[in-house]
This record gives sequence, structure tokens and C-alpha cells, in this order.
Amino acid sequence: MKPRTRFASIAAAAVAAALILTGCGTAGGASAGGGNTASAGPVTHVDGAPAWCGTKPISFALLDGFGGNSWRLVTTASGKAEAQLCPSVTKFSYADGQGSTEKASSDIKGLVSSGVNAMVVFPDAGKAMLPALTAAYNAGVVTVPYRVDPGGAAGTNYDKWIGDDFANDGTNWANWIQKNVPSGGNILFLGGPAGNSQSTDEYNAMTKVLGTSYSFIGETPFQPTNWDPTLTQQLLTADIAKYPKIDVIVSDFGPTLVSSLPLFPQSGRSIPALATSDGNSLSCFWEDNHAANPDFKLMTVATGNDNVRLAVDYAVAKATGGAIPTADSFKGPIFEDSVSQQPNGVKCDRSLPGDVYLSAQMPGTDQAALGK
Amino acid sequence: MVDALARNAPALTSARFSVSKGLITVGSATVILFLISGVLAPSSISGTSLSGMLPIACVLAVAGLGQMLVVQQGGIDLSVPGMISLTAVIVTHNPDGNDALLLPAIALALVFAVVAGFANGLMIGSLRLNPIIATLGTNALLYGADLAISGGRPRITTKLMQTISGGQTFGIPNAVFFALGVLIVVSVLVKKTVAGRRFEAVGANPEAARAIGLRVRSHQTLAYVWAQLLYCLAGIMIAGITAQPSAFEGDKFLLPSVAVVVLGGTSLLGGRGFPLATLIAAVFLQQLTQFVITLGVSTAIQTLVQAAALAVGVSLYTVNWRAVFARFSRTPSVPPPPTAAPPAPSSLENTTPAAASADAV
Repeated sequence: MKPRTRFASIAAAAVAAALILTGCGTAGGASAGGGNTASAGPVTHVDGAPAWCGTKPISFALLDGFGGNSWRLVTTASGKAEAQLCPSVTKFSYADGQGSTEKASSDIKGLVSSGVNAMVVFPDAGKAMLPALTAAYNAGVVTVPYRVDPGGAAGTNYDKWIGDDFANDGTNWANWIQKNVPSGGNILFLGGPAGNSQSTDEYNAMTKVLGTSYSFIGETPFQPTNWDPTLTQQLLTADIAKYPKIDVIVSDFGPTLVSSLPLFPQSGRSIPALATSDGNSLSCFWEDNHAANPDFKLMTVATGNDNVRLAVDYAVAKATGGAIPTADSFKGPIFEDSVSQQPNGVKCDRSLPGDVYLSAQMPGTDQAALGK
Repeated sequence: MVDALARNAPALTSARFSVSKGLITVGSATVILFLISGVLAPSSISGTSLSGMLPIACVLAVAGLGQMLVVQQGGIDLSVPGMISLTAVIVTHNPDGNDALLLPAIALALVFAVVAGFANGLMIGSLRLNPIIATLGTNALLYGADLAISGGRPRITTKLMQTISGGQTFGIPNAVFFALGVLIVVSVLVKKTVAGRRFEAVGANPEAARAIGLRVRSHQTLAYVWAQLLYCLAGIMIAGITAQPSAFEGDKFLLPSVAVVVLGGTSLLGGRGFPLATLIAAVFLQQLTQFVITLGVSTAIQTLVQAAALAVGVSLYTVNWRAVFARFSRTPSVPPPPTAAPPAPSSLENTTPAAASADAV
């Protein structure tokens, strides 16, 4: 190919690409509305698949803001398994923002331009993710953020936010605290990154239920741990040293406490009552330590790996023309209670790794096989 | 053959010991910090608090000593997070709770450290690539290996490793012994051996070192290898201290590893290193964190206090305070004649930009 011909070809390709992209933009604008009409149109269904699986073939993407721990790995695998229940999902993509808001935003834009029809996004950075989500929605992609509230409004910035009913978790913890530490006491609440909506909702729900005999110690609404075991350890050592009386610890990511809780017996104190989310390592830690720590009662709520399944159901239904689920948030049930043994006693499975979540729909053995 | 810092900060010498300005500064700051902690937040210096603070400080100290070796050669190593995270993943994911597989996993991590160190060293020492770019690239490669091995998922630390890295002996966290061991090894090798003295000489003035026949490239390359080995040790330590590390465990050590080197008085231009001051700076930074956490102030204030302390600490070395004070204390005098010659460029050395521009006016 002569240089001039080659240049002409490249120029022609660039013009064609520009025209296609312009066309996409226009079509996207229309199909943002079109996305809404899809739900109002006739519901289709693939035989043998769940009701939310319609017949229109789609390319689907799952995006994480931070995928570097076992919880996310199980959640991602759960999302993928859910999407694979629908044969109309012909392609599955995954992107990990690795804790960077910029990368997470650029992942969204990259997948939009690669032509995905539907995406489920864990918007870790909250409202900072709204512009990228809105851009995806405006480009005609069915956009479903889940778990973390990105702000904005459904139908304007995205199709639907499938939250976890964190207030429900907070209420469950508060009810358990009232029952098991009835005379009131000091509560230390260890939450996620500063300002995150999950921990704030949990705190607000707890304060609604708990009376004045309970007081939250440390930073309120919560001590920000970033759900990081190292930082949790640092914070907890400071708290143990500072507060001679801690009656209850509440944490919205229980397994991060496993390396920190031994600090109590090291300081000559019993590990206090713990209301948190489940994890096999935590349950086995309780089994090993509750006898020597008389105050160490444990209650967990399901850690919510299956929140992603509802978000996937919704996104796939809307994009493929399936029946859209009626539930709009995930309610994590109580999973373990060392006192009442209801609905379960503490479930430690020593044949499985510590970082599996027995509350999840995905079997523990399948979780253990992930990442190998 | 002295570096910029040594020219401006002569060591206080006695017959047998020399005490650097960095050691005096960071040592005094640490003592003052502990005194303030004792008055304003006594619980931040209680046994419990120290038992939580010291292990993390020791990990930072070990990573900081690695960074110091690189900085001594006028370089900087941004692959600290990659190596620490990769090591934490290898020594937890590969054994998967089985103590018998721990040693092979540690050996594998060491292999990665040596390879990454040589990669950095050859790119920077031989190919003369910019250290920031080269080590950033290596960091990305290490994270690639991290995710390839673990799928983003480290496992629970084995019992043996929790006992060794995260345990205590005579009531002292084992991490302290690791850090002291590394401090002694680095200090002796750098300060008391012929190779170590050559290493510092190369860092202080590579051209002069080359002129007298020292192997400049070898020393510069090996600095990155030793550094990676220390990051690897830091990764092993943090994996034992936190029973369930994340796949990005090293991220939080990148900037602090550079900060402790600078706070310890080692010049970013290269030359003399100050291992003891670097270790104390790590304790200072970590105790500062513990102090502001114990004060119970909001996260925003905690971050501001830490940033302010760091800015003050770094400015002690980088700002020519004598010139600044002289500028402000100078009484107004007869303005210089308009034909006054501008100051010679050499007179601008080691002054702040503000002071330099004032001179030029």
C-alpha cells in the first residue's frame, strides 16, 4: 500500500469511526428513553432460565471500585454466576477500579465504548462516580449501581440503584444489643471509609432503636477503618487504651477484626460483645476464644455478597426484556447468634479457608476454589 | 566527596561517635511528641497503645531503610507498594493456612524481590532511566503478579507466621526485633565495611567515585536489590501482623517510606544515609498517627495534623532558615543602587524560592 493510499485509508476509517460514534451518541440519547420503553414493552423470557432473563442478546459488564479482598472476589463470582444463568448474556466483562476513582470512572467509559448493553457498578467512591454513571446511562447502557449510594436519581443519572438495606442491619444489631446488654453501655462502632453512606445509615438506624442508656464512644457516627485490617488494628489499640469500658463493638466488616480482637486479652480484658457481619475466620475465632472471654457474645448479619445478584437480575432484565424484579433493595438477614442460636449458632467450618462467607448463596467450597 | 546535606549539616562528632543533625532533630521531635502525648492523651503511650503502634512502625521502618538505600544513590523507589503487597499475597495465598508451605512461599517472594530489584537496578543504573518512571513500571508489574497469583485475594495468614511476625516475646512485639535486626545489619554494612563506605561514596558523588575507579553501576544497581529484599521482609511482617491482609497492603507505605527517609535527614540528592534516624522517624510518624487517633479528633483534623508535622519536619532540612530569618530581621536600609550586579548563581544555592527571588530583586 502506497503511503498516500494508506493515509487516505486511515483518514477514511477515522471519519467512519467519527460518524459511527456520532450515530451512537444520537442513538444513545434516544435509547436512554428507549431503555425505559424496554421495561414497558412486552416481557420476553428464555425457556428454562429465570424470569428476569429476556430474549434479547446482550453484552454485560460488572465493575468494582476496589476488588482487592476476598469479599469482593466472592461478590464478583456471585455476580458472574448470576449473569450466566441467562443464556441471553453472550459476553461478560469485569473491571476493577483498584481503589482509584479515576480508574473506576475510566473503566465505565471504556466499557461503554466497547459496546456493552448493561452494566452493574459498585460505586465505591459514591457521588464522585455519578458523572461516569450518568454518561453511561445517557449513552443508552442499562446502568445499575448497587450497594453504595451514588446520589443522583433513577431515570436521570442511571436506571436503578439497588441498595443494601443497611438500616435493616443497624436495626438488627441494635435489637440484639438491647437484648444481650440490657442495662446499657458503651458502644464502639467501627465503620468503613469516612463519610460512607453504608456506615452512616447503620449508625442512624442504631441510634433510633437504642435509648439514652447506650452511648457511642470514639468518633461519631463511626470510627473510619476503611475496612482495612491494619488501620482497624491501629484504631482499636488506641480505643482499648483510651476507653476502660467497651461493652459492645459494632463493625460492618467483621473479619477485619480478627487480628485486632486479641488485643483485649493482651490488655487483661475480656473481648466484649460483638455485633457485625459474618465471615468464617471470625466464626472460628469466636469458637477458639469465647470460653476464655466470658463477655464475648457474637451476632452476625449476612455480609451481603448476594446484593449483587439482585442488581444483575435487574440490569439483565431491563436490557434483555425480561421480567424486572420487584424488590429494589437487598435485606441482609441475621445469620448467626451465639446466644439464642437463632437462626443459626456460630458456624465455623475448619475445612474451608477463613475468608469464605457461609451466609452467601455460593457454597463455601466454590468460594474456596476462587482465585486459585 | 560530600553531599549537599553533609556540607550544610556537619555532624556533631566526638572521639568515637558522630551524631547527625537528622538524628538530633527527629530524636528530639520524637521525645517531644511522646511528652505531648503523655500530657494530652496519656492512653496513647500506654502499653496497649504501644503494642499496636510499634509493629506497624517497625514495618514502616524496614521499608524506610530499604528506601534509604535507594535514596542514598540519588534515586527513589516507587515499587514499595507492589513488593510489599506481592509478598503479603505470596506468603498467605500459597501456604493457604499450611505452615509446611510457608518457607517455600517466603523463598518465592525473595526470588521476586531479587528479580524486581535487578530489573529496577539495571534500568536505572545501566540504562539510565528515570527512577520514578522505572520503579513505577516495576510497581505495575509487581501488582500484575500480585493479581495473577491471588486473583485479588490473599488468604488468612498461617498460624506460624502470625506467631512469628505478629507475636510477642517478653512482652515486646516481635516486629521490634526484626526492625532492630535490620537496623543493625544495614548500619554495619553501610558504615563499617569497605563495600558500605564505597556505597556511600558513590551516592555522594558518582562522578568522583567513577574517577577513582569505584563500580558506580554495580553499587547503584545493588541498592535497588537490597531495597527490594527489605520491602519483601516488610511484606512478610505485615502479613503476620494483620491476620487477613488485603491484596493492596503495601499502598499505605509508599509515601511514608519516603517521608521517614527525609525526616531521618538523608538527602534526596544522595550520599550519607542515617539508618537509626530513619527508624526513629518511623516511630515518630506512627506515634503521631496514634496520638491524633487517641485525641479523638475527626479524620479531617487527623490528616491535617499529620501533614503539618511532615511539612515542618521536611522544612527543617530543605529550607535555609538562617537566610529566611536574616531576610525578615533585616532592618530597612538604603536601597541598593540600580546598577547593582545580580547575585552570583552560587549564592542562590540552598535558599528557598522566596528567598532567592527576594535576593534577585
